[in-house]
Amino acid sequence: MDEKFDCIVIGGGVAGLSAAMTLARNNMKFLLIERGEFSGSKNVSGGVLWGDGLASLVPDYQDEEDGGWERFINHRRLTFMDGQSAFSIDFKSDHFEEKPYKGVIVLRAKFDNWLAGKVQEAIDASDYAEDSFIATSILVEEVLMENGKAVGIRAGEEKFHADCVILAEGVNNLLTRQVGLQDQYVPADYLATGVKEIIRFDRKVLEDRFQLDGLSGMSNEFLGFATDGIEGGGFLYTNRDSISLGLVLGMKSMREKMKPNDRKIYDILTHFKQHPAVKDMIRGGEVVEYSGHAVSTGDMRVMPKEVYADGVLIAGEAANLLMNSGKAIQGMDYALHSGVLAAEAVIDAKKKGDFSAASLKQYREALEDSFVMKDMRNFQKAVHFLHSEQLFGMVPNLVCDFGRQFFTIENKPTPKTGKMLSNAVKRHSSYTELLKLGIKGARAL
Amino acid sequence: MSMKKMSIAERLGTVSYVNQGKSEAKPHILVDTDICNHTCPHKATTYVCPANCYTIDEAGKVHFQFEDCIECGTCMYACDQNAVTWHYPDPESGRGVKWNFG
Repeated sequence: MDEKFDCIVIGGGVAGLSAAMTLARNNMKFLLIERGEFSGSKNVSGGVLWGDGLASLVPDYQDEEDGGWERFINHRRLTFMDGQSAFSIDFKSDHFEEKPYKGVIVLRAKFDNWLAGKVQEAIDASDYAEDSFIATSILVEEVLMENGKAVGIRAGEEKFHADCVILAEGVNNLLTRQVGLQDQYVPADYLATGVKEIIRFDRKVLEDRFQLDGLSGMSNEFLGFATDGIEGGGFLYTNRDSISLGLVLGMKSMREKMKPNDRKIYDILTHFKQHPAVKDMIRGGEVVEYSGHAVSTGDMRVMPKEVYADGVLIAGEAANLLMNSGKAIQGMDYALHSGVLAAEAVIDAKKKGDFSAASLKQYREALEDSFVMKDMRNFQKAVHFLHSEQLFGMVPNLVCDFGRQFFTIENKPTPKTGKMLSNAVKRHSSYTELLKLGIKGARAL
Repeated sequence: MSMKKMSIAERLGTVSYVNQGKSEAKPHILVDTDICNHTCPHKATTYVCPANCYTIDEAGKVHFQFEDCIECGTCMYACDQNAVTWHYPDPESGRGVKWNFG
């Protein structure tokens, strides 16, 4: 393949495939390179693809008999836990059943592979059906530069040339570092590690246990006991016949609060599974896959210096576009949208015949105008607030203490609710501390 | 019946790897364990790695093996001592993970 491509997309995850879909639909000649045996084979997420972006990428996905997604979310729950109790805020509504869905649960090995199939269909329908490709099992080792401009890539001995390169390589963004947009060493401060198990059930058992109807699904996040004193939280998402159960744990917090020859990261997952409320949810299930992956937290201090350069665009988590604002962990929706915007900048660059940084700057502007950067900028305080020590211990303990008093009925005089609350506050904190935290939280959210 | 506690070996037993049958694979991560053993104040890789690739023996020495690595990237960030050189595995000659669910 000596011929030059309009664009080479590196990475066949959500960002890369969304970019590729957009390129194919606009009759661009491109090469997408995925290092795994198939798209998704190297990818892990929690994972919910929030928002309705997928409907614009694959309009009929909701009606497909066996689309790449698992379940749509119509039930959300946030659970505070101490060692014995679980106190949840629970929201279920019919409005979630309106299409397009506002969140679908996915398993990446299946979902990305399905999406890659849709991209191939778009390629087949394009002017470059014979000249655009999805290539797998190829590791890109280098972005080729000429006079400070990206002109292609090298994989082993082979070189491929293009007018520009979209880096959609995920959070472990080695090529983004190679082209100088991110430091060679990225510190642990703004990153976390996710560990997860896929636990399989008889489908009927799963549906009854979690009150699922058809393809409806639930997302449950956990704060407190789940992470055993480490910064982070737990999650549970229902798939078709399994659940994804896991933790996201701050790397810096782990480094500081754990020590050698003691508990390890996966012991915390075991600890989470021992909680009485979690035990009841996973009873009788079979662990069919254990997984883990580094994940950005949404702190913008970890982002690359810029998301474009001469002949280069960075999309998805390679640009650390991911945010945990406390409401949800959003990453795949950002990946999808940034992939589309990067591809649109490439399409316009082709029209202009100009792939310089000045031309590709359009991508940054579009990203800033979109919900991706607007939300990340708006909720930086929320991201910082979520690092508050109290959220992983004091707050869940206090909430559960109050819950235990409030929901326990005994044959003796019942104190007023206010008294119960002040009991709980005194045992775990003080009104001054709570007020300070409340103000910080109110500003953040 | 509640679920029994799983060991890390049992957990990793659920993971599929590339070139699983090959006896020799090219390591994709290089660790200078001299740094771990002589200068590192925390040895964090030995407790943050989800695949237990970093272990400490009875003498307190750090050992690394790449065969169980799930390419998560954690060690590349958790090590602030410049002991970890991290690459992706070569699809042909390396190892690395192949998720069934992901």
